[in-house]
This record gives sequence, structure tokens and C-alpha cells, in this order.
Amino acid sequence: MLARIVTIAAILVVLVAVPPLLDIGWQNAMTNMLIASLFAVAFNLLIGQAGLLSFGHAAFFGVGAFATLHLMVVIEDGGLAFPTPLLPLAGAAGGFVIGAFAGYFATMRSGVYFALVTLAIAELFHSLAPHWDGLFGGEAGLSSMRMPWGGLIYGSPLEVYYLALGWTVLSVFLLWAYTRTPFGRLTLALRDNEQRVRFMGYNAHSTKVIIFAVSAMFSGVAGALLAISNETANYTLFSTHVSAQVVLHTFVGGSTVFFGPVIGASVFTLFAFFVSDVTRSWLLYQGLIFVLVMLYAPHGIGGLVDAHRRHWSQLRWSELAPAYGLAALSGLALSGATIFLVETFEVLFSPEYAAARRRADGAWPPFELFGLDWQAFGILTWAVPVLLAAAGLLLLPHARRALRQAWDGVLERTEADRAGSVSPELAGAAER
Amino acid sequence: MEFLIVSTLNGVIYGLLLFMVSSGLTLIFGMMGVLNFAHASFYMVGAYIAYTITALVDFWVGLLVAPILVGLLGVLVERYLLRRVHEHGHAHELLLTFGLAFIFEELVKLFYGDFPVNYAMPDYLRFPAFTVFGTDYPFYRIFIGLVAVAMFVALYLLLSRTRAGLVVRAAERLPSMAEALGHNVPLVFMGVFGTGAAFAGLGGAVAGAFFPTNPNMALELGVIVFVVVVVGGLGSLEGSLIASLMIGLFSSFAVGLDWSLAGLFSLVGLGEWARALGGVFTLTLSSISGTIPFLLMLIVLLVRPAGLMGERN
Repeated sequence: MLARIVTIAAILVVLVAVPPLLDIGWQNAMTNMLIASLFAVAFNLLIGQAGLLSFGHAAFFGVGAFATLHLMVVIEDGGLAFPTPLLPLAGAAGGFVIGAFAGYFATMRSGVYFALVTLAIAELFHSLAPHWDGLFGGEAGLSSMRMPWGGLIYGSPLEVYYLALGWTVLSVFLLWAYTRTPFGRLTLALRDNEQRVRFMGYNAHSTKVIIFAVSAMFSGVAGALLAISNETANYTLFSTHVSAQVVLHTFVGGSTVFFGPVIGASVFTLFAFFVSDVTRSWLLYQGLIFVLVMLYAPHGIGGLVDAHRRHWSQLRWSELAPAYGLAALSGLALSGATIFLVETFEVLFSPEYAAARRRADGAWPPFELFGLDWQAFGILTWAVPVLLAAAGLLLLPHARRALRQAWDGVLERTEADRAGSVSPELAGAAER
Repeated sequence: MEFLIVSTLNGVIYGLLLFMVSSGLTLIFGMMGVLNFAHASFYMVGAYIAYTITALVDFWVGLLVAPILVGLLGVLVERYLLRRVHEHGHAHELLLTFGLAFIFEELVKLFYGDFPVNYAMPDYLRFPAFTVFGTDYPFYRIFIGLVAVAMFVALYLLLSRTRAGLVVRAAERLPSMAEALGHNVPLVFMGVFGTGAAFAGLGGAVAGAFFPTNPNMALELGVIVFVVVVVGGLGSLEGSLIASLMIGLFSSFAVGLDWSLAGLFSLVGLGEWARALGGVFTLTLSSISGTIPFLLMLIVLLVRPAGLMGERN
């Protein structure tokens, strides 16, 4: 527990102290990271706590953004003296109301049908918004300016960052505290055995509606922060792409661990910030990472971290380190081959290269990649990825075997440890 | 009258196209409970493969080869990816196919660019089938419809009249019983998944030559085919045909109608009041035609979750 508090405090100190030293691009990226993290944690309240997979959370994110913008417009017109740091309350209210309404219908179904209802609700918003000028500003959307309040003038992205930080930390703390309440525990029970919860006299449906509305409310806060940061919103906030991103973030981070979604959202937002400058194929890499995580680490990055934490005392690094080294080598070789191939294809199939070929009368001119020149049909060009892939594939079975052996050892020791710690108590009970 | 006939024609053809893509999904969903998010991607991949082969060889070869290749792709996806995550539950399978849809879209963008490609029917298919009210109705639209009808008949006969169909239906209803009787259920699943993918690929190959072939086509159709499957009912071929036609007709009629709630109110003399309120009251049916399938799906899910022709929830 102490270790956890220290970790969280250290992260908070970094989040507060570091951004002033960064440039504006980074500050914006950090703000987006906070927004994505809050959205993912709010989303994960449903799947992680109640076992409900929503594919339409963009609806509540978008509603939060539009509600906030409407309030911002009123403030800008001088119609209301509202403390602007409290703007996300509008997003929370919007998310909660729409979430309670949508949740009432969605939670009448479970499993894939639940996912489909939420998907349909988000699609309803997405197809209605561009035609509904009064509420969503039509296709152009709504825009407004951040109005100063007190000492806050929102002149720099840094102020917006700190506003987002404050709201994100508060909201994530509230969401965490919520899971510790008896009601939060009831939700967990609902996920594990709904029938039993009903027998105990609880109303399963209204419990689900409440948790849905709470999740939507905090998604609305995240949307509100985006509206404040961008000062504009349009119907694309409701698109499946937004719903898809939060699903990706949450599951790569790990939905079974409370802070898992934060890891996923941070990693992917920063990944987007770095990689989207370097390559056009960053969405492809993102998809590949997602599928690999689904296949090989079903509990996500957070799940992996959590497994190490739980078995910490039983980990023998002399066994694990070689296995991890082997896996890392194999992974590096395979990802190197993949990246090399993808980037080569991206060049060879690009309109720019087609134009270069036309200029060269149909010949295949050399192209530049990673700072080197390559021939389209050069042996080296194709030998590099083939050799990398071969090396990776050769190492892969060995790495997997070593990993399995090392972890079998860890689990065995944990088992033995548990048996050892339980037996004295049992012995004591027998004596009495 | 002209509006009525042309809208009906277009609606039926669009509905049949939807059926082509969703029939495979219906089978897969009904059997394996897997909501395959990548299904519309198979449709897109089919169109792109057919485009490539048409450019290299011939249109008809493309029409033949594309479904086969997409079917193989489906088999690979089922065998090496879906089966691996099966033990983690349906949500996991759904997430995996969702990631795959993402990858397919980006791969298509990688090789073919972010813009529509010029996949078109051969010139000798470019003639009017008949004339309605002075406008030529293209033959190729009828052709799309005919392929879909042929597919429905073939699938229906296959499922209801052959031994293979019997095994498939048995594996769908009671997998463990079918297994106990000596049928290789995983193999049946793989076959059905491949067949479903192949049908989606055929749909893409046929329709891509008429409608634009671009990297967004999977996304545009992806959610609509879910609507068809849900509205039609779990695993019901007839249901998905009816749902496809319904959605096709609704969409095609809605585009031409500028009805609004305000118009409805004016029937009882409240039109001015509703128009003054604005907002949802003045939205015309034509502008929200894209919304209708989702409204339909919501209503069906809430009123009759098993779908129009489905037997179980």
C-alpha cells in the first residue's frame, strides 16, 4: 500500500513539475494524454467493474463537450458570470443525464447485445448531429472562447494543462473511491454472479443504470476538458473512431487493473504524438499492437505489471532475466522486420514514388529510408527484413519455452508459499 | 409514381447488397456467437482484390478469385487468431476482430492509398436494362440484385437440403451434441467462417465495381450489417434477407421525403408551433435517413431482442 502511495505521489509530482519545462507541442500532448486517461478510466468503470462492454462511449464524451461549449458560449456572450474553472460540471451534467437515459435502455440487455445498443446510440448521435444546427451547430460544429476568470486568463496551454490535470486527478480519485464503496462492491458482485445478487434482493437493473450513468458522467468531464482545450467541437466527436480509441486504450492498458486504462491511454497518446510525425502508418502499428496484446497478454500492460507486483517476492531474476532478454531479442527482430517492410511498402506504393517513376520513364529509382538509400529490387532491401524475420522466428520458440519455465517456477513457489503460510493456522484451528 | 417505383427498385437492390454482406455474418454470429467486427473488412478486401485482378487479368476472373482468396483469409483468421482467444470469452473475440478491422483498413490504405481506386465494371456490362419514366435504369444494378438472389437460393438449399447443411445446423444448435455424434465441430466453424468471409468478398467484388471502392467502405457498411443481423434475428437467413430489404427500402424512401415532425403536427393544426420550437421538430426525414437503421435496431433490440425471425435471445 505504501509503495503504491509513493508511486502515485511521484507521478503526481512529475505531472505538476515537468510540463513548464516542455515546449507547447508537448504540453498539448500531455493535456490530450490526461483527457484520454480520464475517458479510459471512466469507460473502464463499465467493462472492468460491471462487465459491460460499451462500443458507443463517444456519445457521452461528445455530449460532455457540446454541453460545455453551450455554457462557454453563454459565458462569452456575457449572459452568465460562471467561474470558468468549473466548466466541466456542464460536461458532467450532460453526460450523466444522457447516460442515465441511454443506460436505462442499454442495460436491459447484456453481452454483445449491450455492445450493439451502445453502438446504435452513438451512431444515432453521429448521424443526427450534422443535421441539427441548433444543438450541435451542424457540420461545422460549435466554437467559443475560454473566458478569463479570476487570475486565470487561459493565455497559455500550460494553464489549460493544469486545469485538465486538476479535473483528471479529482475525477480519477472519485472513480477509485467509488469502487471502494459498498455500491462499487455490489457492482463487482453483479459482474460475477448477477443471479445471486438478484436473489439477495438487490435491483440489478437500477444498479447497472447507475454505474452506466456514472461512467457517462466522467466521460462527459473528459469531453468537457477537450472542449475547453480545443475551444470547438463538431459531430466527429460522436464517430465510431472515438469510441474505438477508448476501447483500444483501455484494453491495451488492461481493463482488470484500475490504473490499467491510464497506462494504455498515456502510451497510445504519446505514441501518436511521436510516431505520427515519423510515419503515416502509425494507425497500422497501433492496430498491430492491439491485436498482439489481445493474443498474448489478454489482461494488457497493466495485467502484466500487476502479475509481477503480486508475485514480487517469488520472482527470481536470475531465471527471468535471460528469458525476458531472449523474448526482447526475438520481439525486436520481428518488429524490426515488420517496420522495415511496412515503411518500404509505404514508400513504394506512395503517389510520390509513382511520380518519381514517371519522371524516370518507368524505371525504379532508389528511395531513402532510415537515412539510407535503397534499391527497389536490390538484394539488400529484401534481405534485411527476411533475415530479421528469420532471426526473430528462430528465437521465438526458445523465448516462449524459457518464459513458460521461468513463470512456472514463480507460480510454483507462490503456491508453496501460500500452502506454507496457511498450514500453521489450520494446525492452530485443529488444536482448538 | 415515378418516385415510388425508382425508390422501390433502388431500395430492393441496396437491400440485396446488404444481404450479400450480412448473410455470412448471420451464419457466423448464429453459430459461434462471435460478433465479427472485421466482416465488412472482408467485403472491402474482396473489392480491392477484384480491382487488382481486373487490372491484371479480367473482370470475371476477379469476380471468381476474390471470394476464394477472401474465404481463405477468413479461414486463416478463424484458425490462427480467433480460436486462440476463444477461451477468454466472447468479448475477447469481439475485441480481436475489432483490432483486425483496424489493421485491414490500414493495410488497404498502405497499398492502395487513402483515396478511391478506379474499380469499374467492364464496358459491355454498362447498358440500361430498361427505361423508367424516361430514365435508363442501369443493368449492373439488376446484376447485383441477381447475384444476391442466387446466393440466397444457394445458401438456403445448402443449409436445408444437404447433409453438410444438416451438420452445420446441428453444430449451431447443439455443438456438444454434434461433437458427440462424431462431427468435427471446430472444422465446421472454420468452414462456416471461411464461407461467410467468401460471401462478403463476393459482395465486395460485385458491388465495388458499381459503388466507390475506397478504404472507408468497410466502416460505412460495418455498422449497418450489424443492424441487419440483429434486426433479422440470430442465425436466421430469411430474417437477414427481410431485414436487409427493410433497411434498403427505408433508406431509399427516406432520402426523397422531406417529412418532419412539424409536418406531422400541422395535420392537427400545431405545425406553426412545432416549427417555432425548431430542433428535432424541423429535422426532415431525408436529412436523417442515415439514422433510420439505428432507430430500427434500437427498437427491435428493446421490443423483440431475438430479432424478427430469430428464435432465441
